[in-house]
Amino acid sequence: MTATVDARPRTPSSPPTRGRSKAGRIEGRWGVMMALPAIIGFVAFTLAPMIASLFISLTDWTIGAAPQFVGVENYVRMFSADSSFFSSLWATVYYTLGAVPLSIIVAFVVALLLNANVRGQSVFRVIYYIPAIVPIVANSMLWIWLFNPDFGLLNSALARVGLPGSDWIFAEETAVPSLILMATWGFGNIAVIFLAGLQGVPRHLYEAISVDGGGAWSKFRHITLPMMTPVIFYSVVTGVIGALQVFVQAAVMTEGGPNDATLFFVYYLYRTAFTNNEMGYASALAWILFLIIMAITVLLFRNSNKWVYYEAGTGR
Amino acid sequence: MTIQHPPAPRGFSRRGFLQLGGGAALVAAAGPALTACSGGGDDITFMYWGSAYEQTAIKDMLGKYNEEKSNEVPVNGQYTPVGDYETKISSLVAANTPPDIGYLGVGQMYDLAGKDQLLNLYDYVDAYPELTDRLPSSYFWYGPDKLAANQLAMGMQILYFNTDSFEAAGLERPPFEATSAWSWDEFVEAAIALTLDDEGRNPSESGFDASNVAQFGTIAPFGGGGLNALLASNGAGYVSEDGLQYTLDSAEAITVLQNIQDLVYEHRVAPSPAQLGKNAPTTSVQLQTQRVAMIVDGNWAMLDLLESEVPFGVAVLPQYQVPLTATGGAAGAIFAATEHPEEAVELYLYYNDPENVDLFQNGLWAPLQEKYYTDEAEIAKWVGDDFPEHFREVAIDTTLNHGVTNWDQQTKNSDSLWQKITPAMESLQTGDATAEEVAQGLREEIEPLLEGTWPVQEL
Repeated sequence: MTATVDARPRTPSSPPTRGRSKAGRIEGRWGVMMALPAIIGFVAFTLAPMIASLFISLTDWTIGAAPQFVGVENYVRMFSADSSFFSSLWATVYYTLGAVPLSIIVAFVVALLLNANVRGQSVFRVIYYIPAIVPIVANSMLWIWLFNPDFGLLNSALARVGLPGSDWIFAEETAVPSLILMATWGFGNIAVIFLAGLQGVPRHLYEAISVDGGGAWSKFRHITLPMMTPVIFYSVVTGVIGALQVFVQAAVMTEGGPNDATLFFVYYLYRTAFTNNEMGYASALAWILFLIIMAITVLLFRNSNKWVYYEAGTGR
Repeated sequence: MTIQHPPAPRGFSRRGFLQLGGGAALVAAAGPALTACSGGGDDITFMYWGSAYEQTAIKDMLGKYNEEKSNEVPVNGQYTPVGDYETKISSLVAANTPPDIGYLGVGQMYDLAGKDQLLNLYDYVDAYPELTDRLPSSYFWYGPDKLAANQLAMGMQILYFNTDSFEAAGLERPPFEATSAWSWDEFVEAAIALTLDDEGRNPSESGFDASNVAQFGTIAPFGGGGLNALLASNGAGYVSEDGLQYTLDSAEAITVLQNIQDLVYEHRVAPSPAQLGKNAPTTSVQLQTQRVAMIVDGNWAMLDLLESEVPFGVAVLPQYQVPLTATGGAAGAIFAATEHPEEAVELYLYYNDPENVDLFQNGLWAPLQEKYYTDEAEIAKWVGDDFPEHFREVAIDTTLNHGVTNWDQQTKNSDSLWQKITPAMESLQTGDATAEEVAQGLREEIEPLLEGTWPVQEL
């Protein structure tokens, strides 16, 4: 790097840099000062560790030993000699494919109901939002009890109506679907966003449909749904990013079992780092997940102009 | 009041800004390490896991030690729940701030020893000859003249039972002498008699409701020392003696595994994983509440059983070809980074001695030194008055005469092996696979991971 960042001679007569007034410059500096804690935080706790982990992913560093540079060996091992890599990736994808669409559909339906003019509307809104503010670990403990095949609420309720119970998180086939069900319970967050979106749909559009003789379905199909696509898009993107990083349920509820059925990618990564002490390999796993999430996000954005409608008409 | 404007700050160039940010990041990153280092040398940190009773017992032991050695370096206990323990040790080692001394799982202990993170106790043998008088199986060697640690204490497997449950069922108590140990069938028979549904029926009676069981006969030992002992009793094991061959798919091993699975799904005398539930209560709670009538567990469970005044008795494990118990235990190790190696070794010897600490008399630990198993006067020093009847025969005699060391105490790469074995065993537990399928399926996963055993050396 050369030292020519600001080599222009400055004289009292030269015009202010970037054409801003003195007050504007002072404001700008103070702006930077005020933002500095956040910037430092980002650099120290996100950017620097990311760069460090990129380097670590090229070593075979295990905790307690000196790191050794091995190039892309960790990445090769992942794809050629690690069956847990693929099984954990599959478990995560399975979970994401279930949890994201289901949460969005349930949230959308509930938001439509909440948007209707019913008595006690605000009470319902609070009730549906409550699960979203329960801490995830408390949530997990609650669901361990709900899922208990012997005395849990779910099997008791099923038995009450004469249906057979399930082993929920205790059986290989039902473990991931159970966690998907649990994830759907936390739809309140998305429902609130949908609700805000629904309230932003201009009334006159519905009136226009009424004038043309359209019913409730036409209103939904031709007004509500298109107007809501930006919110759906937002929910899909954030939902997918979140679901691919699912961790707590595996750590608290299932420990990755039974028989690795819920060995989600981030839990596997965590175990590699802190149980097997393989920091180099764990860093490589983290980078692969980062790339996967980034690729999916880019694809979603690329694809979005085909189905997401923005009123302003600028595409995005 | 006049408003004073602050003097305008000097402008940042982009480079200055980045330097400032980088400097701040460096301070932020290095800060915790610096503060940790600065306070590291003033005391000895002792890290441990265990039940609430164990936490109190260790705290009392360290308090007593600090009192007795008031002029020396104080010792601080650092309790960490067992589920997070390994992770916490890894993080502390990665941050270069390990404890001075502490409990360690055997796999992690060998891993750290191989990276020179643990103090080589062999260097201290001359100065502290007490280091040499332990049972040979309790030493962890990681190379010639390289002694990583000792077992924290001796551990052995016992069949615990609730005496009230036996009385109610009108059953004779299980045998306490190895030579008259129950056969597997006798064990199953007792378990059937002890299993009762909500209506008081047992599995041999018609109408038994397996989904509403009030008291299970036992808990199926799908792992741990209990399974090790049963396998060894049938002349089987996970791996060969040299640690180089996978042997869990032998006919003898499959018999044992299938018998254990049958406790749950055929005889219905033990809870399935689903019935046991996540975060299942401890052995003492299971026996106290009479949810379960008999459990195979380590001698350390006695601490909680005695403290919670459970009406319990002890017996020898059921046998196949030979009666035996599996022995072993986690490691107690000193970290190489300690600034007080001598003091740490002294604490190490202190807590191993039943004459100093009551962790033995309260049932948590069994001693490492042979004399406490052979000499009457020495035995009296650690077998507490409130220990159950026949503890002597069940624990002391069986360990001395029929003790077999747990295979993973001396097998290399045991943590990696367990990571393959555990999920496979889960499908045995859930009933998704038979013993034969599990055992045969594991072969190709285990074989590439076998690296032999750690060396053994005379002291």
